[in-house]
Amino acid sequence: MPSTSPLEWKLQLSGIILILGLVVESLCLLGHGPIAFLLFVGLGGALFAVGILLYLYSLVGAKVESSKQ
Amino acid sequence: MMPAFLILLLAVFSIFLIAVFVFRPQITATRGGKMTAFVALFALPLLCFGMGASSKLEHAKSTEFCLSCHIMEPYGKSLRVDDPQHLAAAHFQNHRVPANEACYTCHTNYAMFGAIKAKLSGLRHVYVYYFGKPPAPENIKLYEPYNNRECLHCHAGARSFEEGVVHTADPELLPALKANKTSCISSGCHGVVHDVASLKNAKFWKGSN
Repeated sequence: MPSTSPLEWKLQLSGIILILGLVVESLCLLGHGPIAFLLFVGLGGALFAVGILLYLYSLVGAKVESSKQ
Repeated sequence: MMPAFLILLLAVFSIFLIAVFVFRPQITATRGGKMTAFVALFALPLLCFGMGASSKLEHAKSTEFCLSCHIMEPYGKSLRVDDPQHLAAAHFQNHRVPANEACYTCHTNYAMFGAIKAKLSGLRHVYVYYFGKPPAPENIKLYEPYNNRECLHCHAGARSFEEGVVHTADPELLPALKANKTSCISSGCHGVVHDVASLKNAKFWKGSN
């Protein structure tokens, strides 16, 4: 159920991406080969980075909006 | 190293906490909600990734990890050759190197950023293995000649090395070895390292893991 508020929508999106990152990390932790290692660093790392940056961006965006009001 | 199952528990806990904010984002309107959101959407994922990466990097040093590629199997077998003249086998079987980190101990670089270089070389191996044309196991060569520094990391100062009969027979030999001017391996002294080409005729040690 996506929120109508842009701030909440960004939080939801960031949460979904981070959950995906955590699922990838968990699956990769169960694997022992080089592919699990590469997926962990490449895909997992990218999802974590995007999710966290989106969350931080939503905080900055929220501050800008409140200062405008 | 953090056991993987503890990291998994933390990841599952983080997933549940993040899911709360996905389904109820309005919680962040309160001060407490904002603080919890920071923990759930920033601190916990960073912690999970850091601990997971540390665990994975530690596992990447293991002999099991290196030998998980099919192409490395003969090199794993060569560690069990029953012949003390085989350098890698003698080191592995006599625990001169930790048996569970045998490959990494000899093939890492004991200079600054050696561990990082070893990981980058590992990435190159994976690239060649999956996207390039991997050579036959017996044709695999080191990217650069083996540096005595890696041997001397353990052997320098050891009595068997400093006072060994062969090492001291020529007074110029020890300084040349330490300066990497004469190779321990390719100068004909400790030349048999893995010798995967002649494994068919080799006798193997059936000792413990």
